Amino acid sequence: MKISLNKVMPIPLASINHGANSIWGNEVELLPGKKIMLNAASGKGKSTFTYTTTGLRNDYSGAILYDDRDVKTFSVEEWTTIRQTKISTVFQDLQLFPTLTVKENLLLKNKLTSVFSESELKEKLDQLGIADKWEQRCGLLSMGQQQRVAIIRALAQPFEWLIMDEPFSHLDEANTQLCLAMINKRADELNAGFVLTSLGDDHAFQYDYTLNL
Amino acid sequence: MLRQLLFRNQDKKQLIIAIVGSFLGITFLITSIHYLIKVNEFGKGTEILGPNTLIVQKKVNAGAIMGLAKTDFSDSEIEKMKKERFISDVKPVISNNFDVSFQTDDPHVPYFRSDVFIQTVDPQFLDVKSDKWKWKEGDTVVPIILPRDFIVMLNTFMSASGIPQVSDELAKEIRFKFTIKNEERKEFIAAKNIGFTNEVASILVPQSFMEYGNKNFALGADKKITQIMIAGKESEFGLVEEYLVKHGLESKNSQMVVGKLKSIVSTLIVVILGISIIAVFVSCLVLIQYLQLLMSKNAYEVRTLIRIGYPPHSIVKTFFVYFLKIFGVITLSGFAVFFVFKFFLDNILIAGGLAISSTVSLYSIIALVVAYCIFAWASYSTAKRGVMKEHSA
Repeated sequence: MKISLNKVMPIPLASINHGANSIWGNEVELLPGKKIMLNAASGKGKSTFTYTTTGLRNDYSGAILYDDRDVKTFSVEEWTTIRQTKISTVFQDLQLFPTLTVKENLLLKNKLTSVFSESELKEKLDQLGIADKWEQRCGLLSMGQQQRVAIIRALAQPFEWLIMDEPFSHLDEANTQLCLAMINKRADELNAGFVLTSLGDDHAFQYDYTLNL
Repeated sequence: MLRQLLFRNQDKKQLIIAIVGSFLGITFLITSIHYLIKVNEFGKGTEILGPNTLIVQKKVNAGAIMGLAKTDFSDSEIEKMKKERFISDVKPVISNNFDVSFQTDDPHVPYFRSDVFIQTVDPQFLDVKSDKWKWKEGDTVVPIILPRDFIVMLNTFMSASGIPQVSDELAKEIRFKFTIKNEERKEFIAAKNIGFTNEVASILVPQSFMEYGNKNFALGADKKITQIMIAGKESEFGLVEEYLVKHGLESKNSQMVVGKLKSIVSTLIVVILGISIIAVFVSCLVLIQYLQLLMSKNAYEVRTLIRIGYPPHSIVKTFFVYFLKIFGVITLSGFAVFFVFKFFLDNILIAGGLAISSTVSLYSIIALVVAYCIFAWASYSTAKRGVMKEHSA
């Protein structure tokens, strides 16, 4: 699925001066299967990008198209299907359920499409070093641990695009590399692309291309 | 798991208050509707005169005896009565203006013969099927409605003669015969009893038979109308009684007592019904408000579920089904307690000589279904509105 941004300008960011190579106000294409870094300083609209491209915000001018169809025309049911099978998101504020355990958070998402078994989910937690947190409530985990749970949750569905909003902001480099490797492997399995927003650090990953805000 | 997420950390106090309120409202709603229907049905089937019907005549006083006051009703008086809002209809009771005698004509019952007084009333006042209550010139059998006192008298007579007494049903099988005559001719017509009345002292016959007799066997000028039938409106018998007293009219006391009692009881039940409807309405509002509160407490959860791919309709369904079950339990509990109430109330009424039908009124069940449907609709639309608000947030 190709995502096109046609002169998109979020209304809250309209008064800010954006560079000539900014995605805001320009024509940008997110090509299928590409691994993209979205580089920007704070306050330039990284989260706004996540929310607008995933249809969670509509306060912008211009148009966002999925395969040449304006996302503003999608019905509630179409968005449900898209969120279950085409686009997965790691939000900056993670959006986990703090009162549920890690297990419940992951199974709640996984049961929508049943892509992983319970043991596969446990294995992924193990790969990221938090297997012992399986039965712990998410609200009691550190931010870094929660980020890893949110990443695994985002991977627990089929997708064509994975949009990640500063997903490693609370992780050390070693854990970041583990997460990035897992994300990359899963994207390759699905022939999917991803967009990773960052404050400038590329984590020594070979992206297909970089976009700026 | 969805339920666990959305219904964790509830403040149950408000929920319990709403459930208790709804339960009481529903219980009284079914009970009051049931007894409102049963009280209004009271007496039906045993009395062939329609419900809320009175036979009225003018009070006979000294003036009337001396011929100074009228005891008959003029057309204008009848028309004036019809205009009263608590009276649904007024019709004259026509009496025979010819000689008529009535006798048993059946080998199974002793011979009995007497000159009698027959009357006819508009069929709309009678609770009989129209195909049974018809007669035309040339028909050999005329349908009649006998005063119940006649059966009492007949049974007394049969008992004294050593013959088994007859029930209402058996009495309908006895063959009778009318002899109508004037100075010039005489005619015999078989009569078949189709029902009984406690309220009329004479034998009731179809209007066509009375017209035939009055036309062909009349003894003189037309008889004056000295009795009329009044159909009072439901629950307004108090006003009818007031009207009768004010206008110097009287009716058989038992008719008035039953009518008045039914009016009083109906009014009381209507008040309880009104309170029950308000109770159900208010407690449903509290339940719906609780649902709104629950949804606003779970705004983050609902929003996040939608963002990770949960279909909004499945979230709506989770809330909706939960409240539907709560109201289902309330409704069933209310219905069960109604049966307990009914058991005790029916026993009290039977002990007081008021044997009302023990079947559950259909209207009570309909009211229950309607209340349930309204609640289902309200909870569904509230849940949908709340979820869709988070979808577009």
